[in-house]
Amino acid sequence: MRAIPYAIFAALVVFAISRRLRRRRNQEQAGPPTRQYYLSSLLGHTGLVAQREVRERLRGRFFRVITLVLLAVVAAAIVIPTLHSSSKSSQTVGVVGTASPALRREVDRLARNESLSVRVVTVADLETARLQLSSGRLDLVINGTTSILVNKPIPATDTSAGAQLARSLAATLGVQQTFRAAGLSTTQIAQITQAKALPIRSVQPGSNRSTAQSTSLIGVVLVFVMLTQYLTWTLMGVMEEKASRVVEVLLAAVKPIDLLGGKLLGIGLVALFQAGLVVAFALILAKAVGSDLLHGTAPLVVVATLIWLVLGYAFYSWVYAAAGSLTERQDQVQSLALPLSVPIIFGYIISLTAAGSGNASVLVKVLAFLPPTAPFAIPTWVALGGIAWWELVFSAAISVISTFGVARVAAAIYRRAVLRTGGRVRLRSLLAS
Amino acid sequence: MPYRDRVRAELELSGLRRSFGSVVALDDLSFSVPSGQVVGFLGPNGAGKTTAMRAIFGLTDLDGGTVRWRGQSIGAEDRRRFGYMPEERGLYPSMAVGEQIEYLGRLHGLSGSQAADSVRTWLERLDIGDRAASKVESLSHGNQQRVQLAAALVHDPEVLILDEPLAGLDPSGIDAIGEVLVERARAGCCVLFSSHQLDLVEDLCEAVTIIDHGRLVATGTVDELASSGPRRLAVRVEGDRDGAWASTIRGASVSQVQGGEVRLVLESTTDSDTVLAAARSAGRVTEFVFDRRRLSEVFREATTS
Repeated sequence: MRAIPYAIFAALVVFAISRRLRRRRNQEQAGPPTRQYYLSSLLGHTGLVAQREVRERLRGRFFRVITLVLLAVVAAAIVIPTLHSSSKSSQTVGVVGTASPALRREVDRLARNESLSVRVVTVADLETARLQLSSGRLDLVINGTTSILVNKPIPATDTSAGAQLARSLAATLGVQQTFRAAGLSTTQIAQITQAKALPIRSVQPGSNRSTAQSTSLIGVVLVFVMLTQYLTWTLMGVMEEKASRVVEVLLAAVKPIDLLGGKLLGIGLVALFQAGLVVAFALILAKAVGSDLLHGTAPLVVVATLIWLVLGYAFYSWVYAAAGSLTERQDQVQSLALPLSVPIIFGYIISLTAAGSGNASVLVKVLAFLPPTAPFAIPTWVALGGIAWWELVFSAAISVISTFGVARVAAAIYRRAVLRTGGRVRLRSLLAS
Repeated sequence: MPYRDRVRAELELSGLRRSFGSVVALDDLSFSVPSGQVVGFLGPNGAGKTTAMRAIFGLTDLDGGTVRWRGQSIGAEDRRRFGYMPEERGLYPSMAVGEQIEYLGRLHGLSGSQAADSVRTWLERLDIGDRAASKVESLSHGNQQRVQLAAALVHDPEVLILDEPLAGLDPSGIDAIGEVLVERARAGCCVLFSSHQLDLVEDLCEAVTIIDHGRLVATGTVDELASSGPRRLAVRVEGDRDGAWASTIRGASVSQVQGGEVRLVLESTTDSDTVLAAARSAGRVTEFVFDRRRLSEVFREATTS
């Protein structure tokens, strides 16, 4: 029921977007209107180029398809575990026969331990209890002192609050039953069962690590998918401008650095928009279905993932753009794309392995300071804990400084290579010219 | 007074040098383009025309030399007021025609409304007003060429540099584009265009600049170049198609044989009567006139000497 407002909100957003797209299509059929270039007033030529890039990319079918696929994957990653664990924040517990005040108090206490609100109702007989469990009106039933009934078996891997309540009720009531049989008084039994457990204190700081780990796993996969997608756009976009020879017309009016910068900024803005959309969708959906994916340190992981996605794109996009300027055919692009993607795949696999194992290895910590692998290693390290704020700042600073250096070299390669046609340009021949 | 001293040179290329490895593309090339005239830029393939045009837009690194505009070293802002049509046509294939030209207009410094107005004007002027919403790739070659020209003209440039603008066009396309070039020149624009269609250049241009192996080999008005050089005779002998009779005349060389007409270049000491006698010995002479140099002859003589 709590998901209904979110579902309505999502439907309204989808409706508004589709209406806008329809209106734009109608306008296009009627004839081209004057385009507004908002970014140009801020960034001059770079802004103009960026805005054309954003418009063309958002208009493309590929963007819509990949966004929908990403949203579907994120939705599945969030919803499926909650379906599996049948997690709910409130439970209705049936008691066959009469529910003594002591039993009600016990159920309340155990529910509070699991952060659940609970309603205790009495059920006339076992048959009625079974029916109400099947129909979903009851989440579990206490059958006197003999058993706890649930609708479906609870697997050992189910760590939801409802499953934990069923387990702790079963254990507590069983212990009470044994104490009663041993002749202890009600007061003694209450004293024993309500005994406070000794606190468990960890030597290392950190809380709710498993949740943050899951979030970082999703984050690392998202960074990989999005970086791969947008860097391929950059590579192909530069190659296509060279192949169609439009770049010569553009460079007659715009400096190479402005043209390249605008292109990378435009694709980067689309990437950020898509990432923002996916994260916003994930947050809303996680809240709506009561997922615990964003609890604990997980929000920090989300923020780190977004920041290093931007830093990673900024670093790699120059490299890919320079590579794109060396080629003018698809087959040439493919032969360049593979070696370029090696550090991405390396960082991705190492980080994914570390996030899965729950141990931030020395290798991950080293990779976190290298700009090509930091977008994967940093979110993982943040999720696994133990990273200091200065280490984050240091890693970000290395990425930013390296990006400036890479941009200078890439712009020089681009300027020299993009007008050379007739085959793949070798770096050696660029240096010789 | 020679042509280059007589006209007001607005765009000046001075001592341009550029090598690609062992290949010398520009070898101390200097020439100028005046405003108000259509200037043909000629040269054999690989002569350095495209490199020189790119140098005007800073699209190639120069090993030496300067490009000046109105006496000043050329800058990015000056170039933004220039229009360029590269040899290899370049437009975004899947972008709408109107939107694309408007975008290019904006890059050349027009405001949104100025660009939109100019797009409408130029598309109408080039007879493709109804294709504004079409994708470039859906247009015929001729219409794509018109779109490319509109892209060079959209910002009302002070200089038009066009690399082979007439290549592959049908006669109506050539007329339409030729008309625009002449009109822009009359409006005070510097117009420089390269072409291998020498007859068209002769029709359209007031002046030509010819380069070979990256060097200037001839420049001047079409009239000056046509009337300069040694005397030449056009002779036609009835029934003779290949002009074999002319090959043995002393003091005259065959410049061209076309459709039975033999064009001969006479040395200063050669008497035309000698030629007439040789022609008569081959048959009845139906044409015997002194003629100006054709541009194709100017070109051939300049680039083979």
